[in-house]
Amino acid sequence: MVDETPAILSLLKKQAEDRYITLAAAQKIALQNSTTLASVESLALQHSILPLRYKRNGLNSAEQLTLFKSTVAIIGCGGLGGRNAEILSRIGVGHLILTDPDIFSESNLNRQMFCTADNLGQEKVTVLERELQKINPALDTSLHCNHFDRSSILRADTVIDALDSAEARKELATLCQKEDIPLVHGAVNGWYGQLGVDNRTNSIINTLYQRTDGKTTAPRVVPMTVALIATMQATEACKLLLGKGTTIDKGWLQCDLYNGDFEVIEA
Amino acid sequence: MQVQVKLFAFFREGRFIKEDRELPEGCTVGEVVDTLNINREEIGVLMLNSRHCQFDTVLHEGDICAIFPVIGGG
Repeated sequence: MVDETPAILSLLKKQAEDRYITLAAAQKIALQNSTTLASVESLALQHSILPLRYKRNGLNSAEQLTLFKSTVAIIGCGGLGGRNAEILSRIGVGHLILTDPDIFSESNLNRQMFCTADNLGQEKVTVLERELQKINPALDTSLHCNHFDRSSILRADTVIDALDSAEARKELATLCQKEDIPLVHGAVNGWYGQLGVDNRTNSIINTLYQRTDGKTTAPRVVPMTVALIATMQATEACKLLLGKGTTIDKGWLQCDLYNGDFEVIEA
Repeated sequence: MQVQVKLFAFFREGRFIKEDRELPEGCTVGEVVDTLNINREEIGVLMLNSRHCQFDTVLHEGDICAIFPVIGGG
């Protein structure tokens, strides 16, 4: 097989303006060379050429390449999971593993960003994959339309806990600790939410759910709480991916949107 | 004795965020929870002076007791 890399690189350099390559130009190069958009953009990033859509991230090409090479597993693709997926796709994470056994239903419309009146009844992971491709056509997705297992988190650099049951969260934390992958926890109820990063040292999820027997009813949740907590989860995930670590590794953040009260609880 | 009680998330609704309460000597954390009409099954975390505690932990003058519900939605 002929190595097309020098030819692609030369095209990239020729077409890049001020070290930015447009989506249309990268797609054309991929088509001409019978390769994928992702591999063209990967080559670009390795040579400090940024896809134009990342310009306003303000990240340098090394950071953008790190994100592109990263895999994030999103466990649960409802309110928290959907918005995490949207943010991580926009900033340029290269690979998302999406796990959720459910379909969109009408009661999801108030807070789940990819739920629309015309996709009710469709698998959440399938809808997400389709919509995320429109946001970031270079994104690679792996779908698991079932309850999570080891394959949902394997090879992930960071895992997002976007589940809705205490038992499942504890199960996921055990799995992630076993594989030594940081787990960015988020949970919501009404105008209130919490955020933490579970690892082998702090076991924050076991602290938060130590007393529960798993019996939970679907809580009321306003969309602002979901958007805020998911945004903060995606933020912590990106900082972990970029090697900046997390600022909430000892305890958890308690958020009260109704009273405008935010407090880090040191566990 | 006086104890400061701090409530979090939806436990604040119809109650308070933070309150100094006059309690009888020997009062436990669980009794405070019951007095506030909070269902014990809804409790996620109990802390006394920033350390984890249990329902049967006995309170003392000047303690700060924090009560957190389970928040489980996603």
